[in-house]
Amino acid sequence: MIRFILADLQRLQAGAMIVVLLVAFATALGMAVRIEERALRLGSARAADRFDVVIGAPGSETQLVLSSIFLQPSPLALVSGDVLKQLSQDPRVDHAAPVGFGDSYHGYPIIGTTAEFIEKSGFRMEGRGRGFSALSEAVVGARVPMAIGDEFSPQHGLAGQAAEEHHEMSYRITGRMEPSATPWDRAILVPIEGVWHVHGLGGGVDDLDPHVGHDHDHHEGHDEIADLGPPWAGDVPGVPAILVKPRTIANAYQIRGDYRTETTMAVFPGEVLTRLYATLGDARLVLTAIAIGTQMLAGTAVILVTMAHLSQRRRQIGALRAFGAPRLAVFAVVWSELLVVIGLGVAAGIGLGYAGAKALAILFTRQSGMALPVTLEVSDLAFAGMLLAVAALIAAVPAIYAYRQSPAAALRG
Amino acid sequence: MLDLEMENVTVRYPDLPQPALDMPRLLVPAGSSLAVTGPSGAGKSTFINVITGLERPCAGAVRWKGQDIARLSEAARDRWRAKNVGLVMQEFHLFPGLDAMENVLLPARFRHPRLPAGLRDRAAHLLAQVGIGTGRRGVETFSRGEMQRVAIARALLAGPGVIVADEPTASLDSESGGVVCALLTALARTEGATLIVVTHDTALSGRLDRRIVLTGGRCTGDSAMEAA
Repeated sequence: MIRFILADLQRLQAGAMIVVLLVAFATALGMAVRIEERALRLGSARAADRFDVVIGAPGSETQLVLSSIFLQPSPLALVSGDVLKQLSQDPRVDHAAPVGFGDSYHGYPIIGTTAEFIEKSGFRMEGRGRGFSALSEAVVGARVPMAIGDEFSPQHGLAGQAAEEHHEMSYRITGRMEPSATPWDRAILVPIEGVWHVHGLGGGVDDLDPHVGHDHDHHEGHDEIADLGPPWAGDVPGVPAILVKPRTIANAYQIRGDYRTETTMAVFPGEVLTRLYATLGDARLVLTAIAIGTQMLAGTAVILVTMAHLSQRRRQIGALRAFGAPRLAVFAVVWSELLVVIGLGVAAGIGLGYAGAKALAILFTRQSGMALPVTLEVSDLAFAGMLLAVAALIAAVPAIYAYRQSPAAALRG
Repeated sequence: MLDLEMENVTVRYPDLPQPALDMPRLLVPAGSSLAVTGPSGAGKSTFINVITGLERPCAGAVRWKGQDIARLSEAARDRWRAKNVGLVMQEFHLFPGLDAMENVLLPARFRHPRLPAGLRDRAAHLLAQVGIGTGRRGVETFSRGEMQRVAIARALLAGPGVIVADEPTASLDSESGGVVCALLTALARTEGATLIVVTHDTALSGRLDRRIVLTGGRCTGDSAMEAA
């Protein structure tokens, strides 16, 4: 009987292929939605993991987190430099680092921060690299295609916007960070003082030669003199965001409470992300509904194709019955043939969905630097199993139709 | 070996005023052979469906060796047919993609999870008798005459008490038709099966013991009556 089913399927290759493809695409869509959404959750949670509290000027919490942790440039209001100063002297704080958005270089955002931040927030240097210790030095993320010793001049404007070069400033790369699977892999980190300077905000570097670092022969060592914070001296200019590492969890809650004021906003990135996931969950619901709709369409198409195919096979089925095949055997033949075809489709769909999700994730990582951990989990296979179970029910419709068919009527037609 | 006794059998279809088959009485002795002829629409297909249990008559009894198959359920008739009837049809109904041996064994495969011992040997023996080799070639590559010979071997596999053939030579050229004709009659005799053939082929009907003519669902001619 198995040989008969295989021979039958081989004869019906073309139709079977159509059904396999239909089922595969419908399955793949559902799988990809599940996998991608989970990957986005996991990836963003991991990227935010190392940051405890973010402080900024009052406004959108989501915007603050997206800008400071995921380095999505946006025009954030500045929080006063005094806040930064105050935080870096706070005994409850291990370290507090400003995040300033400088210009960009070939699409890689230049982020102003402190050497202390790089050292203390878990970014590790590759090989012989070191953090910056002078205004003209920079550290790059793992995905920035520059090597230690390279020099570059920033381009004006934020990442993604083409602009002219800033000839008054140039940086030399002193270190490369190991991959962290976060957007920081695409960042070029420079002393925040440089960013302030470019924006004309001063900040202890007012007296700096505007050609700092550009002309080493004449100003050898000049930039080494400038004191890089912390500690911060004199007037500290405003910054868009401050990443704070409290010493204890209790401190974290205290700080968040203390800095929820009229002029500052303090958030736990995890909390903001959770709210974001809720929105993401809604989006997933919509996508899932679309996927289910597609699966139902595919299911209907499969039934239609099968019924059309069955009416062509009426004589064959009638003949089987005439030769004494039991009705149950006829049911089994039609049902198992369909199940084999649909099963192949679901299996192909799992592969296709996984590959599609992987490809999307790679594309996304290339764009944002954030790694999306694409994984196939037991629940995904359970989902595929559920699809298969529904398919088995659907396949029973034509099988029952074949079961009930009178052999005499089938032979007469 | 089975004898057939039909009594007051009628088959009516909802949209036809006349019965498709009206057979007050017909006796076919075990081991004999019968040809059924008649114009198209005379009820020949209905006759075959009724005597093989493919269709249940509206009234009357169809007794094979005393057992009235008209009273059996559909599943029971399927079982009875598989055991007792060898069917040969005009359009062979062989299954492409399978070789001759697999086609002969196919009905048995649907009946038994594992083929009974010796059945494969019997299939090979029958194929040899109809002059078909047991190669692995798919039947779709066979000539029509060869296909019908495979169908005859298939019909005989279960050692049926009756062979029922529906226009077995109508789609064959005269030479293959002659071969099929000779095989059917000879094998029915050696296998000890009653042979009932619906045919327009006078060469075939001439070889059989008795001929009846169906017209409008009724028996309008019977060589046995004429002889008597």
